Amino acid sequence: MTERAPVLSVRGLSVRFLMPGGHRVAAVTDAHFDVAPGECLALIGESGCGKSVLASALLGLLPGNAQTAGRALLGDLDLLDADERTFARTVRGRLIGLVPQSPAAHLTPVRTIRAHLEETVAELTEVRGRTALREAAEAAAGRAAFPVTHLDRHPHELSGGLAQRAATALALVGDAPLLLADEPTTGLDRDLVDRTVDELRRHVDQGGSRALLMITHDLAAAERIADRVAVMYAGRIVELADAAAFFGAAGPRHPYSRGLLDALPDRAFAPIPGLPPELGALPEGCAFAARCDRASDACAALPPLRGTVACHHPHAVLTEAADRA
Amino acid sequence: MSMADVAAGKTGTRWRSRAGDRRSTRTLRLRTSVALLALTVLAVLLVPPLVRLDQQAVDLAAKLQAPTWAHPFGTDDVGRDLLLRCVYGLRVSLLVGVAAALTATVVGTAVGAAAGALGGWVDRSVMRVVDALSSVPHLLMGIFIVAMFRPGVWPVVASVALTHWLSTARIVRAEVLSLRARPHIDAAVSGGASRWRVTVRHLLPGVLPQAALAAVLMVPHAMWHESALSFLGLGLPTHTASLGNLVQEARGSLLAGHWWPTLFPGLFIIVPTLAVAGLAGAWRERINPRRRSELML
Amino acid sequence: MLELRSITAGYDRKVPVFRDVSLSVAPGQAVGLLGPSGCGKSTLARVAALLHRPDSGTLLLDGTPVRRWRHRAPRDRRTAVGVVFQQARLSADPRLTLADLVAEPLRATGRREEAAGRVAELAGAVGLTTDLLTRRPHEVSDGQLQRACLARALVLRPRWLVCDEMTAMLDASTTAALVRVVEDYRAATGAGLLAVGHDRVLLDRWCDRTVEWASLVPPAATTS
Repeated sequence: MTERAPVLSVRGLSVRFLMPGGHRVAAVTDAHFDVAPGECLALIGESGCGKSVLASALLGLLPGNAQTAGRALLGDLDLLDADERTFARTVRGRLIGLVPQSPAAHLTPVRTIRAHLEETVAELTEVRGRTALREAAEAAAGRAAFPVTHLDRHPHELSGGLAQRAATALALVGDAPLLLADEPTTGLDRDLVDRTVDELRRHVDQGGSRALLMITHDLAAAERIADRVAVMYAGRIVELADAAAFFGAAGPRHPYSRGLLDALPDRAFAPIPGLPPELGALPEGCAFAARCDRASDACAALPPLRGTVACHHPHAVLTEAADRA
Repeated sequence: MSMADVAAGKTGTRWRSRAGDRRSTRTLRLRTSVALLALTVLAVLLVPPLVRLDQQAVDLAAKLQAPTWAHPFGTDDVGRDLLLRCVYGLRVSLLVGVAAALTATVVGTAVGAAAGALGGWVDRSVMRVVDALSSVPHLLMGIFIVAMFRPGVWPVVASVALTHWLSTARIVRAEVLSLRARPHIDAAVSGGASRWRVTVRHLLPGVLPQAALAAVLMVPHAMWHESALSFLGLGLPTHTASLGNLVQEARGSLLAGHWWPTLFPGLFIIVPTLAVAGLAGAWRERINPRRRSELML
Repeated sequence: MLELRSITAGYDRKVPVFRDVSLSVAPGQAVGLLGPSGCGKSTLARVAALLHRPDSGTLLLDGTPVRRWRHRAPRDRRTAVGVVFQQARLSADPRLTLADLVAEPLRATGRREEAAGRVAELAGAVGLTTDLLTRRPHEVSDGQLQRACLARALVLRPRWLVCDEMTAMLDASTTAALVRVVEDYRAATGAGLLAVGHDRVLLDRWCDRTVEWASLVPPAATTS
């Protein structure tokens, strides 16, 4: 971690949903993490583990039956305390640039990319006047490597890759310190995944003070660009590790993270047995114990996040490297 | 105690909600609509048997009286109690509205579903007919239809229903087409389902909420239509108290400065209309797929 | 054999999505079809599943050419091919519980009495709990729903399976689990598989042979 103040500092963030009949669903529980300037943190986990809920909480997009606890500091602003007005006027686009999951659905079908960009530039910056707006929009397109020749096209006339670049260009207009990419590569081809995440990485490297929080279930995309990895399971962050060690020889320390990596087709291709628990009926102790081959009586108690991992029986640091040596 | 509570206790933080104001205005609108509709229905059901007054009772001595405690809505030009006339009028108008809306919805859903599910030349020819019929103004066609029969409730119902199924057919067909392109229909076909089963079990249930919504929204529309026909003297026989007839009869006295014989029947047309529209709006938000799930998994 | 011979297909006769594509899958074989998004591979998958009538070309299913498509195809031919689509959420009827979803093909083909036993058996195979079976699609995650969709595709014991980007939206563990279910089924029944996708690593690991979309399209077709 760098000495510079983090761009986003999340402390004890929890989200629960109140369901009909007084039922409670703990979608996110006690999440702690920082994202430093120039850093890319990948939040990984399977669908339904709570990672999209966490993103929605940061963007103020939770539905009315959600309750939050904890803090999420972006500069001096606590995102969990901000009201809709604050989100609309100062957060979305200005403090957090959102790279959406499906750009085709994110763009208005009847308007050209130029119209999208000009509108966003006029909304988020001081640029005024037709020619100035036009130039600013073209510059914004250029920053995301969107070809100026395609600016007058409508979203449906673009390939998946160009649509993703258009969405990224929009996210970059406000020069927000935090980029939040929510499953930016879902449904894209491998080549396109690589290009998309490489571009996201480039925006972080060029910005200098910009940070990227990428939410994804695509481990290969995370491996490609992340500095650090946060693994989420059943609403909790169970491992928060350095990406090089996590994907490298050392390997992850939490048995769940290890299982996820082993499920990759270029590794063991072996699924983790069983299903994740229901967020509405979580066990008292470690939520992964039921699927874990290292589970013991100790796992009946909830493991706190100690060092990089929340587990009673984590894999030792560098065991694999030692085995190989 | 759930894990969330443990976590909250440990970090010592309070839970915060960001429930928006939208929700409360939505609830308010829903409650107002329900209250108004309930009032209307109660009035229609209870007032005639309770009051036991003759709505046709003429009292020339008390003609064109402004609202008093004895006659809260005043009296008309032959001294009939307007509150009673309005309630009876609303009964007739609601009957016509509901019957016409139901007929139109059944016809429209059947035609729209058949066109959408069968596709091809059936779809093309049916929809051309719908287009052709839609190009004739509703009221004009309605007038033609009532003109073919003796004045009465059922010709008016037929007139409204036959001019209003077109929009339902369009809505249902469009819904069926959009559902038909979804993979779950492909999956049903691949699972061996017959065309009938796909239409009845997979397509129709998907469009029913939309069709029902269209039906509810059509009730006030049909009431307006009935009022318009009656106002033109083509709808219900003039001795039947319908809201349209009441307004029509009162036209003359309005020019003489008697406002109540037009205002109250007019309000009786507008209030249930708004209540039904409010209810339908709330319903539409409920069936909107975007907020199907409050839990964002 | 599941044999696609010089298929031309699309949604507008004047501009077919692809022309003259041929591909065959032998019984018991697993063929991966690899291509970028929007190339037409999903349309080809729909043709192979008798769900889309090609503009020209022949589909041979177990040696007999297919002449009728979708509802018009005889039921035993349609159900000889099981399909799983990319987006579980769109391929599940939102009003059915997962148990009804899996049982639907049995009910549609008049084999209602087998439903309970077969659903329980398949739920075990794909890893769905009895609690999950009582829920509707919006109450479960994408991964759980795709498990149900795979069970539905297997419920009539098809001789062929077409998996169109079955795992594109899923995490690594669910992907590995679903591929294992498909492979267990194929090992037990000898069914053939056409797996369409864009992840080379996955298809290479999963299938006996992987075919590039570009190698299927004759060069002349690309100039049109």
